[in-house]
Amino acid sequence: MSDNLDGGGDGQAGVCDAFASVLRSGRPQFNAQFTEARRVYPNLDGSAFLEFLRTDVDGLVQVVQQSHPEQITDLTLAAYEAGLELVGQKLAGPGARHPWIEEGWKRVLPALASALATAPARIIRSVSNALHHLANTPGARLEQWISEFERLGPQCGNVDTVLLVGQVLAWRAGLAHYRGGAVTAAGALPTALALSAIGAPSSADWPQLQERLKVNPWFSPTSPSEGDKESAGFPRFVAQAGAFRGFGGLFVEPPRVASSGQDFLVRSGDDCWLLTADIFGATFHRSSPAEFDSATQGSQLPSELRMNDSKLLWRKRPIEMPIDGLITSSAANPTTLALTSSLTHSVVLFALS
Amino acid sequence: MARFNLFQRVSQAPTNPQPAAAQRGFDVADLYRGPLAEKNDSGSDPGLALDEKLRQAYFWIVNTAIISPHYDIEYNEGPPQSFVLGDSKSRLTLPSGQSYSSFVLLPLLTFASRRKCLFVGGPGRGKTASAILMGVLAGYPVREVRRAMQHGHPQMTIADLLGNPLPADLVNAQKIEDIRVSWRKWLGMRVKIIDEYNRIPTRTQSALLTVMGDNYAEILDHIYECPESAWFLTANDEQGGGTYQVIEALRDRIDVIVQALAFNPRFLDDLLTRVEENVRPEEVVPRQIVFSEAEVDRLQPEIRGVEMPVEIRRRLEFFSSQFEFCEVAGDQFEYKTKDTARLAGVEWHTLTAQETGRDRLKDLGCQTRNGLSVRLLMTLLIYSKALAYFRGNRVVGLEDLRQILPFVLHDKLVPDPDAPFFDALGNGAYRTDRVGWLRKLFDSACADFDRLNLDRDDPINVFGVEFKRGLDGLNESEARSRLVKIERLIGEWSKGRKLYGHMYDDLLMLKYLHQRYTNYLRWVKTQ
Repeated sequence: MSDNLDGGGDGQAGVCDAFASVLRSGRPQFNAQFTEARRVYPNLDGSAFLEFLRTDVDGLVQVVQQSHPEQITDLTLAAYEAGLELVGQKLAGPGARHPWIEEGWKRVLPALASALATAPARIIRSVSNALHHLANTPGARLEQWISEFERLGPQCGNVDTVLLVGQVLAWRAGLAHYRGGAVTAAGALPTALALSAIGAPSSADWPQLQERLKVNPWFSPTSPSEGDKESAGFPRFVAQAGAFRGFGGLFVEPPRVASSGQDFLVRSGDDCWLLTADIFGATFHRSSPAEFDSATQGSQLPSELRMNDSKLLWRKRPIEMPIDGLITSSAANPTTLALTSSLTHSVVLFALS
Repeated sequence: MARFNLFQRVSQAPTNPQPAAAQRGFDVADLYRGPLAEKNDSGSDPGLALDEKLRQAYFWIVNTAIISPHYDIEYNEGPPQSFVLGDSKSRLTLPSGQSYSSFVLLPLLTFASRRKCLFVGGPGRGKTASAILMGVLAGYPVREVRRAMQHGHPQMTIADLLGNPLPADLVNAQKIEDIRVSWRKWLGMRVKIIDEYNRIPTRTQSALLTVMGDNYAEILDHIYECPESAWFLTANDEQGGGTYQVIEALRDRIDVIVQALAFNPRFLDDLLTRVEENVRPEEVVPRQIVFSEAEVDRLQPEIRGVEMPVEIRRRLEFFSSQFEFCEVAGDQFEYKTKDTARLAGVEWHTLTAQETGRDRLKDLGCQTRNGLSVRLLMTLLIYSKALAYFRGNRVVGLEDLRQILPFVLHDKLVPDPDAPFFDALGNGAYRTDRVGWLRKLFDSACADFDRLNLDRDDPINVFGVEFKRGLDGLNESEARSRLVKIERLIGEWSKGRKLYGHMYDDLLMLKYLHQRYTNYLRWVKTQ
């Protein structure tokens, strides 16, 4: 394979004139950059990179050209450099490990054309990294993040707004551990955009909504009035987190759970995780068995909870379990009750507030 | 374009991942951290732990700067894979834990603990390059490091090394203190490099000794106080070669010796890239791994603060007590040491010929011609802590001590090549492989320690703990009881047991305790 992109043929075939012109004018530099990247990523494939330029970068250039033709060169430089890294790491282009980064380049970046024109490198890097982050978080809903960003992108006029909206949408797409930061990020947005980003009705009272989001992880901003009726102090089944490793989950055996502040610690076999969960999702983060053991010793259940003949009672009323088997462990914090059973490779979560 | 600079890529933290407590404070800004790094990410991370930074420096050096495929400091986290190859049954071990190259690790530990390291090995193996890298890691520009490096040569004078009195003052001065001295700049640097130190004339070596040992330089009654610094010396041949014999006191000041191992031609491709790119590693050291003066200052207490557990310290005590004892060297018990014999200038073989009774193959003390000095033991303690710290631990492990020991004792614990051990089947290679021999010696001492069950049953330790509680309030009968216990134990030991090095030190310890209790008893009686 050739050590530059010329490859003996016309590397600019099949792209728009503006993009071809920029590539042509910086041809020696672009080729040198490709050669350098090849040393760092020996598997960087010239034809795969050309394909990426044609299918992903070209479309982006065309969109930005319509509104900000003077920014095409900066955009091309940034996209070319990021593309080398992504294709070199097999994160984009033909043979990529997952399709999401390319999907984001096709759908999210064009929706951010205004912001992209002002800071192409930062936007491209941030969006690509976020897509990679979401793609590597089990349970995250990438399609939701992308489509919501497509919807809200045109309302984001600058880089800071783009980044804040992306954070809020990532939380809503299932990254429960970012809840605190995302609520704060939403607070820094214009009210209408904040309400739209968290999926609340435009008529909602944002300050009140923000307060409730801070104290109750099971409060749904999409239907704020529903939350007032629900629960009423009785445990309400809200989520089932985790799965058997054979089915793509984390657990090799039915897990056990312990309380750890606002979150939970989960152990399955020799492996342990911190479980963070809220109305939008649940995520697991590596922990240590020692931490689980010490959490187990200090774990205390609410006084309202009683175990009776393998049934769970809350203030003497039985809790209907969505899973089979004997209860093997339980843990609670002021907002959530977590249970595990002998026959299920997951943690069952009940809202207490 | 710098984004793709092959020579400035630093390993991502954590470089030695350990099972850790779960992260609690999640930062939503992490959403945007990933495979595409920021262009200005090359700056030093102020929040990065210094041990992590040291490891990043290590990995940058082994992966990019000094092509070093030798992993001779082996750690295991489970049974390693091991293979026996060739007619001489050479054993190749594939470690199951993160292992290190001594040629890079030892200089780095020296840099971090501000000690003194000697590189030995044939010409062109990267000794000087390695030393220069250490200067660059300390934040000095490459040019300054190169200029400050002292090159040993046969005509090197004290003035070349330390500086000159100003000529005008020499003519006009009425008093010696009026003569100003222009000190050499390298004396004020925190990384000092002496290239080919065994080519320096003996007289100049003595001046160097004062700087190395006492950290000051002296010319015409003028004193220059040097800052605390790390020293790196190189020698093509430490075992007697060089233009001048290195004075023993100077050799003794060197804390660790590390050998530059041979280049593996399988890595010629990396050399080719370096030639084609016209890159000198010391000129492309990434900023992230350069230490500020304050950071190196901070490293010192952090390293000293690493805990040395009693169990490990006991094994070191047991190991070091093997070597000084020489039963036939003196009549009085305290003088039965190899040092007594050395000071008397007695031929070594006449002493060994007198040795009777002990199993000279099993007695570890028979393998050496000397014992361990206090300076050596202090160096061992510091480097063990530095190694544990480098690995991200705050407690020294036995393997840390075992791995560092050969490099500290390299030319300090002198083997007796005529000892029966070296004639035993399969032990011939230990005559030339000092590192292997010293490691074997330590392993044998540990095996003896286990065999004697000293971890659980060590009467001397019991006496020591009892004594350390203090003598205040101790009544006469208790003091007498302790004296009787000591006498009884010595009495038991005297019944037909051979005398070995570790017992000799234990007996001296018992004598010490006995004397302290005797004096105390005498004082109590007068009250």
